[in-house]
Amino acid sequence: MVDAARHPKVDVRTYTEVERVEGFVGNFKVQLRQKSRYVHADRCNGCGECALVCPIEVPNYFDVNLAPRKAIDVAMSQSVPLLYNVDMDACIECYKCVEACGKLEAVDFGIEDELVWEDIGSIIVATGYDHFDPSVIPEYGYGRFPNVVTAMEIERFANSAGPTAGNLVRPSDGVNPERLAIVNCVGSRDKRFNPGCSNFCCMYGIKNAVLLKQAYPEMDIAIYYMDIRTPSKGYEEFYDRAREIGVHFIHGRPSLITEDPETKNLYVHSEDMALGRVIEREYDMVMLSQAAVPQPDADTVSSVLNISQGPGGWFMEYHPKLRPMDCPTDGIFLAGACQGVKDIPASVAQGSAAASRAGRVLHSDEWEIEPVVAVVWEDRCVSADGKKCGVCSRACPYGAIEYEQGKAAHVVTAKCHGCGGCVAECPHNAITQMHFTDAQILAQIRALLAKNPEEKILAFRCNWCSYPGADLAGTSHFDYSSNERGMRVMCVARMDADFFYEAFRLGAGAVLFSGCHPQDCHYITGQPVGAKRAERLLKQFERMGMTPGRFRVEWVSAAEGDKYARVVNEMQELLDSIPKEKLLEEIEGMKPEMEKRARRMKEPPQVEEALEFADRMVEAMLKAEVVE
Amino acid sequence: MSHSGPTPESFADQVRNAPGGEKLDLCYSCGTCTAACPIQWVEEAYNPRRILKMVMMGMKEQVLSSPVVWLCSACDLCYRRCPQGVHISDIMKAIRGIAAQEGYEPVRAIAQVDERACSGCGMCVQACPYQAIELTPRWVTIQQVMRQRRALPKVDKFLCQGCGACTVTCPVSAIGVAGVEDDTVVVQIREFAQAIGPNPANSRTTGKKVDVDSPAEGIGSGLSGLGR
Repeated sequence: MVDAARHPKVDVRTYTEVERVEGFVGNFKVQLRQKSRYVHADRCNGCGECALVCPIEVPNYFDVNLAPRKAIDVAMSQSVPLLYNVDMDACIECYKCVEACGKLEAVDFGIEDELVWEDIGSIIVATGYDHFDPSVIPEYGYGRFPNVVTAMEIERFANSAGPTAGNLVRPSDGVNPERLAIVNCVGSRDKRFNPGCSNFCCMYGIKNAVLLKQAYPEMDIAIYYMDIRTPSKGYEEFYDRAREIGVHFIHGRPSLITEDPETKNLYVHSEDMALGRVIEREYDMVMLSQAAVPQPDADTVSSVLNISQGPGGWFMEYHPKLRPMDCPTDGIFLAGACQGVKDIPASVAQGSAAASRAGRVLHSDEWEIEPVVAVVWEDRCVSADGKKCGVCSRACPYGAIEYEQGKAAHVVTAKCHGCGGCVAECPHNAITQMHFTDAQILAQIRALLAKNPEEKILAFRCNWCSYPGADLAGTSHFDYSSNERGMRVMCVARMDADFFYEAFRLGAGAVLFSGCHPQDCHYITGQPVGAKRAERLLKQFERMGMTPGRFRVEWVSAAEGDKYARVVNEMQELLDSIPKEKLLEEIEGMKPEMEKRARRMKEPPQVEEALEFADRMVEAMLKAEVVE
Repeated sequence: MSHSGPTPESFADQVRNAPGGEKLDLCYSCGTCTAACPIQWVEEAYNPRRILKMVMMGMKEQVLSSPVVWLCSACDLCYRRCPQGVHISDIMKAIRGIAAQEGYEPVRAIAQVDERACSGCGMCVQACPYQAIELTPRWVTIQQVMRQRRALPKVDKFLCQGCGACTVTCPVSAIGVAGVEDDTVVVQIREFAQAIGPNPANSRTTGKKVDVDSPAEGIGSGLSGLGR
């Protein structure tokens, strides 16, 4: 850390928050709030005279509130840069610190927060994680029983720079404990709180046991566990070592911790799977290995940086296996536990990877992006005529569309990720998506429904979930109806209502609207945009008198090949259950309405030509009997 | 899976398909339920974690013929603590349902009704936490000569847990669980009190003299006036 701070090209800004982020990869503008320390950074030499004279003591956050700090103090003794700051919530403004500082004149109560804009090329998010508060688990008694402590508290007790100088004592009486229980999975792997595994608790539980066993060889230490997870290099050997030096491992999750009110000793009730019976053991102290949870302000960070959060609130990576350090937003990278719980080696690896990715941005003059981006037909955009609109700008999850009344909407190509939400939402067909233009998609629909459309199941699939889901159904050899005809678009947000009107106008038997589950969307909020539209369509078609199930909306993930096959088969069963004459009659009956609704789909440029071309192709193929 | 044909329903499937049994497979055998179980304190052979595992492994015969599956009192101390949200008492109920279908008999004491003493008031029906009692009209002979049609409680042997809530509620002590009838318990209390000797701390609190000396045998002692 000291090396980093000294590096001529590294600028460390502590006690600073990111307020706003604008721009795009390589060209971010970031507004920073340098919070006031009430101490001049350039004058403070870290001597600590001010803290000596300060009369106010507050709980020390760094010592998990086990020890006090002064109202003017450093966050922790290894702080870089070593600067004192005033906790204004506690300060009584006696100005003793100002006096103590003397000629340096570093303490200054007139300093205010400073807002600065910086040009930034790329951003690495490494905001870490927070600890789960075990006091919400009533059966473990944390907060009620003084000798039930968390792992972080033990960590501070056992630290030679900690509040007890490395002496592990019971909070109730200050005596060294002779028997210590370590309870794993407190709040993690627990559907009531955090379903996920917190990854590193097994190892830090064993680490604490080994360290304490070295310091206090007589101490009886038992680790209560459900599974011990030691998947990384050298971890299993460390686990072996803990067993060798006499740490007890008890296979069973405690159901209750009770306290002897006189001795403040604790009784841990659990099943011992190896003994096959319930045991109750007495301890002097219990350590809870609490779960790791996202930072409390993760939501704020995610909205400032426009990065999405996955299940549990962790920041979403671009791809879980291939791009774990990239954000869906170009130029923003993730490092460490903010992306998901991970231990130190994994965090360091991800941090280095993120740094090299960020360096790639800084060293490039040009930035390559996917060619699938939105483009505005400026002559069609009503905003250019001075009308109020901005629908596209609101639909964009990336803030890539600049809208100003009186000017045609403008797509910042570098920010566009190509979901196509704006294209489908634009009420005037004034935006198109390269490689997925209305003309191309309508031509595909026409070709797929060229022959016996009433037998076909036209399936719209999103590129990231339901398309791979259908792929998986195929590679896994799940049979599904051969009448299914798949159409790929990038996102359900791109699935324009016109496509469905057109499909039914052409006489499609059934149409499937499928995409990701809401939390899996590749485009942050593309799925909800499409889902809303699908709901509207469902209602419309129901009012028109369509047999329920002919238009179906399903969320299929890339792993749900069996679900995709099942959905298609159910649709086929539905089609089989409707007598053919009745189906044709229904299709014919709805054609005028569909025609009316689909009339605007021919407005965008190139549609006429594309459809003509499609018709010619189909005609030729039918002649050659390629299309069935 | 769509490519595999129908297979006969396994025992684990039977339990999974029963209401409350859906989460059976979520159990990862952490043992919290067993450690939390108050039944386990008195009957070590009862281990809910092991029963769940046996169901998952398809050990039908062993599970259904085991006396311990009838022991769960549905207090749900385990459910509140289960990290996977498995509703164990529902699974036990499902297992018992299957046992009942397959002709296994519950192995435990259940409430029994003394038809001569019962007035058919139905308070036991309301008291039963397991909905094991219902009133059904039946012909009974009273005082050796009179035959009368009365609504009498009928105890479902598969639902009754033998908790004794009905015995406590019954105003005429006409219902009871073998081994824990009103008078048996009173005699036990008396023996216990004699064994530990008088407690001076309690002498102020009870002024009433309880008559426990009148002869009473088994249920039906309501007629002898012992109950109230």
